[in-house]
Amino acid sequence: MTDDVLLDIKGLRVEANGIPILRGLNLQFERGKVYAVLGPNASGKSTVAKTVMGLPEYEVKGGDIIYKGESIVNKSITERAKMGIAYAFQSPPAISGVKLEDFICRICPDYACKEPDEELMGETCMCRQELYDDFERLGIENLGDRNLNENFSGGELKRSELFQVLSMRPDIVFLDEPDSGLDYDSLKVVGRELKAMKEKANSTMVIISHHRYVLEFVEVDKVYILENGRLAYTGGMGIIPELEEKGYDMFLAQAAS
Amino acid sequence: MTETEKKRKRAEAAKKKSAAYGEDLDLDQFEFSHEQPRRMDLDEVSEEDRDLVSEVGFDASERLASGSYLQFDNESILADVLIGQEGLEVIPTSEALEKYDWLSDYLWNAVPVDTDKYTAASELEHYDGYFIRAKSGHKIQMPVQTCLVLKKGKSIQNVHNIIIAEEGSEMHIITGCATPSDVERSLHLGVSEFYVKKKARLTFTMVHKWSDKIDVRPRSATVVEDNGVFVSSYAILSPLRSIQTFPKVRLMGRNSRADLYSVVYGTKQSKYDVGGALILEAAASSGKIISRSIATEQSEIIARGDLIGKHSGVKARLECNGLLLSDEAEIGAVPALRATSEGVELSHEATVGKVGADQLNYLMSRGLTEEEATTLIVNGFVQLKAPDLPPSLQRSIDDAIKLTLEKGL
Repeated sequence: MTDDVLLDIKGLRVEANGIPILRGLNLQFERGKVYAVLGPNASGKSTVAKTVMGLPEYEVKGGDIIYKGESIVNKSITERAKMGIAYAFQSPPAISGVKLEDFICRICPDYACKEPDEELMGETCMCRQELYDDFERLGIENLGDRNLNENFSGGELKRSELFQVLSMRPDIVFLDEPDSGLDYDSLKVVGRELKAMKEKANSTMVIISHHRYVLEFVEVDKVYILENGRLAYTGGMGIIPELEEKGYDMFLAQAAS
Repeated sequence: MTETEKKRKRAEAAKKKSAAYGEDLDLDQFEFSHEQPRRMDLDEVSEEDRDLVSEVGFDASERLASGSYLQFDNESILADVLIGQEGLEVIPTSEALEKYDWLSDYLWNAVPVDTDKYTAASELEHYDGYFIRAKSGHKIQMPVQTCLVLKKGKSIQNVHNIIIAEEGSEMHIITGCATPSDVERSLHLGVSEFYVKKKARLTFTMVHKWSDKIDVRPRSATVVEDNGVFVSSYAILSPLRSIQTFPKVRLMGRNSRADLYSVVYGTKQSKYDVGGALILEAAASSGKIISRSIATEQSEIIARGDLIGKHSGVKARLECNGLLLSDEAEIGAVPALRATSEGVELSHEATVGKVGADQLNYLMSRGLTEEEATTLIVNGFVQLKAPDLPPSLQRSIDDAIKLTLEKGL
């Protein structure tokens, strides 16, 4: 293991509701790189992300998750988040009575007003103007004063999730299908944000996806293909056209032979 | 027989009549006061009492209120109107009944005197309370504040309030009820009758802070005339022995509207039976009942809501949401809709649940601790945004809720 390895997943076995999903998975993620995790349905892609985040329905039965040199399998979700792990949910739950803008200011101090009692036109200042500028860049300025995830459209959920996890300035971020259900314009916005983030090179990005558009746009460094809860193939972006043409079954069968 | 004698006779007949809901209390266990409360000045109120009343939103400096009414047990009363405030009257009910002959028409008009044994006893025993009136056409900008304090043990605080918003007037009342935590078993009996005249707007914001030996039996009703608006916001955030309240609003005027909001935060072994009814009797009348209940520890909450549509085209909505934060607590939601005319539009939503694990995990993944995440969810759940409430009153409700949650969770 080199010093550059941020997250090292070793022989990981995970069950959900008693059903084995990961069956001895080995994956390494280096600092500042961009990864695509691909694989057929039910291969365990999302499970990797959710298990690293520590969601309790995914039970670690064996193996280890080493992050920044220490095992995190016994750490709470909060501790992991505070250590710099972030996960953009595929279908985040609605939280009534909590406005998106207030929530972001809370999880991301950069956006919160420096002076807590700073008054802005009679109202206590919660968030700085930068937040609204950044909202606009992602095209979610209309969501600021809406309740978190409540009645958001599919595209709005994706953009709001992306915004939140990027605001947290994580060391590693798992993006679970950030591109599903997006129209072309939204795809471009999401791609642009991810690329900007990559260029800053301060976060390791793990993109779980079925589609090549975003992956190509951000120029993924490494591609992992999972099958049946194990790592089946490691390669570069160059394999994507072939993969798309052949499908997982044939691609993996030929790669194995 | 005079009208007063007739009412007394009806009260006599209802002396043993149990209430429709809630534990049936034995009134003989408590003692009514037989004395007339005396008037007092603000500087007679001790520091301790000032702190107590401030917890339910009463500002003892009186700077932010257009009028103030403060009553301790059945003993002393303070009633003031800001110097220079026109069109507002705040005086004890006993005084008002002597002053105005016409007021007897409003006494036991919205609330029938023979509703149950509590209203009957209230009439038959000695009572006082507040009479608050916004005179015709006057818009009273700053809120009127009232507070009823119960300090004596084994007693009944017997209060009868009459609130009138005359034609075209506007008034905001914030009222608190409070008791020190060491009071022995007592009963608060509060009759409140609200009259919202044509084109008048009345908001009534109430924060209750009792202690766990107090029983509370408010009996309230409102009559709203043409184009009138009545908004009631109620927060009960402290433990008590029991409360049963079921305010009724009759929308008797064309295009009248009433919104009833309530937040119940159940603690200890308290029993809350809190509801409300809207009776939509006139064309184009509308309204809503929104209730949020949170049950912690061993508390029991029943949230009721009745919508009764009697005129074609009326519209009303009921939302009854409960959040259970303890395995030993209990919440019941009892929504009821009744239409007696064609073209009535009534709807309801009732939910009772726990804080979702998926919500907790989600918020924790954004760096919040489990406690912070729970507080945020509960806080969001009780958000009570009454659009017609002046910001200062909205803030006092928000602050009271925030304080309770910080202490409680």
